[in-house]
Amino acid sequence: MGEEEAKEEKAKPKEEFKLSFDYFNESRLGIFALIIGALIAIFPGLPAFIEGIGMIIVFAWGADSVRKTARYGLGTGVPSIGVLAVGFGIVGGIAGIAIASTHFGTLVVGGVEIAFGVLAGVALLALLGFVSGNLANGDKFIDMKIPGLERGMTELGIAGTLAVLIETSILAGTYHITKVLPNVVNNGLIAAIFILSAFGMLQPYNTCLGADERRGRTLLMSIEIGGIASIILGIAATLTLSAVEGVPLIVLGAVVWVAYYRAYMKACMEEAYATPGTGLIKTLGG
Amino acid sequence: MPVISLFAWMLVIAFLAFIACMFEDLESDIGSQSNPNSQIQLAPEMGYIHRYFNKAISGEGLSYALSCTIAGAIAMLMLLKLEPMLVAKGMSLGYAAVLAIPVGAAVGSLVHMVRASTCYVGREAAHKRFEQPIYLDVFYGHLLPIATHNFMAVICITAIAYIQSNLGLLSGVAGASNPFPLPLLCLIWGLTVGAIGSSTGDIHYGTERAFQDKPFGEGRRVVYHGQICRYGDCGIRTSKDVAAFCAKYGGPATGLTFGLIVLFENWRTVIGMLLGGLSVEGLANPAVAAAGGIGIGIVIAAVLTILNRMLEKWTRNKYGPFVGE
Amino acid sequence: MIETLLLVLVCIIIGGILSSLAVHLMPVGGAPAAMATATGIATGCVMLMTGAAVTGLFTASTVASFWATNPSVILVALSGAVGAMLMMGFTMFVANLIYIFGAGVVPCSGRVAVDPITRESQTEYKTPRTDGHGVPTVSYVSGILGGFSGGFGGALIYVVLVSDSYAHFSVATAGIVAMGIFIANAIIAAYNIGGTIEGFHDPKFKARIRTGLTCALIVSVLCGVIVVIAMLTGTLVGGVM
Repeated sequence: MGEEEAKEEKAKPKEEFKLSFDYFNESRLGIFALIIGALIAIFPGLPAFIEGIGMIIVFAWGADSVRKTARYGLGTGVPSIGVLAVGFGIVGGIAGIAIASTHFGTLVVGGVEIAFGVLAGVALLALLGFVSGNLANGDKFIDMKIPGLERGMTELGIAGTLAVLIETSILAGTYHITKVLPNVVNNGLIAAIFILSAFGMLQPYNTCLGADERRGRTLLMSIEIGGIASIILGIAATLTLSAVEGVPLIVLGAVVWVAYYRAYMKACMEEAYATPGTGLIKTLGG
Repeated sequence: MPVISLFAWMLVIAFLAFIACMFEDLESDIGSQSNPNSQIQLAPEMGYIHRYFNKAISGEGLSYALSCTIAGAIAMLMLLKLEPMLVAKGMSLGYAAVLAIPVGAAVGSLVHMVRASTCYVGREAAHKRFEQPIYLDVFYGHLLPIATHNFMAVICITAIAYIQSNLGLLSGVAGASNPFPLPLLCLIWGLTVGAIGSSTGDIHYGTERAFQDKPFGEGRRVVYHGQICRYGDCGIRTSKDVAAFCAKYGGPATGLTFGLIVLFENWRTVIGMLLGGLSVEGLANPAVAAAGGIGIGIVIAAVLTILNRMLEKWTRNKYGPFVGE
Repeated sequence: MIETLLLVLVCIIIGGILSSLAVHLMPVGGAPAAMATATGIATGCVMLMTGAAVTGLFTASTVASFWATNPSVILVALSGAVGAMLMMGFTMFVANLIYIFGAGVVPCSGRVAVDPITRESQTEYKTPRTDGHGVPTVSYVSGILGGFSGGFGGALIYVVLVSDSYAHFSVATAGIVAMGIFIANAIIAAYNIGGTIEGFHDPKFKARIRTGLTCALIVSVLCGVIVVIAMLTGTLVGGVM
């Protein structure tokens, strides 16, 4: 895991100081997030704050996919496609966890749990997303005429499932169903996972929508939501698992949130037409 | 009498639902969220620079699901820690809820306020080419009203979810509790309260308040879209002025919708349970109970359809066909 | 065992198709309806349908807990259907009250000249250069039917997942998975509608319903297969609280 962390550390200052995601264009961000997300998802025993970083990257990927599909107008609002991703994600996440809980779904090598089974859930949802994308875009079916919708929906299916899986492993520390059911599902925290993942993906583009929308700003916001999600999941993990897991995640969330909230607000205020303290509308003669 | 206390709790839930949905609608009006937001978004493109607060978190259903679910999750975690401590001391479980529900709701509305703050700057920054500025007084001045109205709605929803998941314990009737955990109930009612708030309350804001300088009594024509009314009672209007107007009709009517839904949903379930032989031990005949509830529900829906038809007929006679051009 | 799996699969497919049908039946005006520029309810169909269906899901979960074991599938699903129907009924009724007394417009359809149920003419009540406004009787009935169908679909998926004679998931697992499958179907159906629809009398309904139901069938089969795979692992079964 050392490599990925180093990459992550290198990527962060770049985003923060230049406010630019130029290196991580849509394809690179997708591949990067898929690899990191899948790697983190199959090691549920990792410390919660590393999983938190994975979750934030997956959110950014999902938000980017929402951005590139919703740009062309979906007819029913931007949020719908983000909810679709998480609706898929819940189905895929539960299936992945069920498969990982079987005796062949998880390998234990030297005390480290490697849950290959969850990748089956991810693969199934990639298939479901691809089929849905083809249904929505196919000229024999709904025919929405959105370029790249097939790819977008596939990515959203994967990103939704990975987000649900990583958040589950933050709260349970494993995919074994005897731990997941009481710690995540039966106490209702799955509802929080559902809505937090949905917001990480759907809100950035919905909020930044407009003629002068910029990808860098939109993605800054998805990371900022990741920070809030980390704080809340950290509080939950402190109580369901232990403070050793939860507190570093809360700290990570707080740092990420403060840094990226400031960066986002600053970027918006600088790039707006003007930011007066107060004032009347000049065209109304006030 | 456990059955009577079941009815009493039901009335408490309906009352809380009324308050929740009314504040939900007023909160969405303060930030011009959901469907009328399309006009606030369109206005600068039509040359109508405005001082409205543009709060496009997402649809109301989802944004309320977010704040209510966070509130429910925090409240559930606190209850999980506090209730065993109270049991060990032999105290009533209610003390834990008195602390957990407001703290949960506070966290939920804090998150909502943060989300709202990102929206105004995000959307107005994306309107650069139409020369729409970010007014800092609008930005700071709307955050607190948004948070307080949201808090009222979220605390009511969390309380409803708490009562419903502990109804058996509270009323003394075995099996009256809903089996869903607290955060899931918060998600359900958050989605519903937002869906209702956006489908009924928005009409009063979008049709009447946002276009107050256009003729009354007609649908807003497509050519008017984006030409929102920018004058307040005195000076330039901000979104805070909208809430005061909608609090007189749109907000209470929206609250009434959710209150009635929750009231009749629970009422028909309890009447069904009484038909099924409800006692302190539980139900004697669950099939009769379920069927009774279904029958009453169908009757209510039929009555509503007839009422709606009568209302439509009355309006057609009273208002008459469209006059004007 | 194999019959149980097949039954669960079939019930998920039926539930998915019914939820897609429900979205097509909704009188949804989207954002224009909030300005009384389009007939129907002033919100997106996904949000409205999900709100109605989860209200039904709430009642269905209460009713399913009446039985200690083995809840009656049809009665629980019907309870959910009636719950969603009541939610739609009250919402549309109060929406009409606000249209009539808050904005002073007469409910009328913009897509048909004559209301197919009341046989009353619509055109002269319509404001020119709008697409109708309010919720006329035919849209109201369509919405009531849509609520019934959607609530039935959502509650049916929930009850087969939670019942101990079928999938036997824990209550919360069944609830959230039912919601996930329902939302996926509802959103694909919403893309099929593409914005606004007035109800079953709308020409759009006839033109699009076949595509919508085909897509719902394919998506629900896939969702059902994934859930059945999860059941086959045997790890979720018996996950009582």
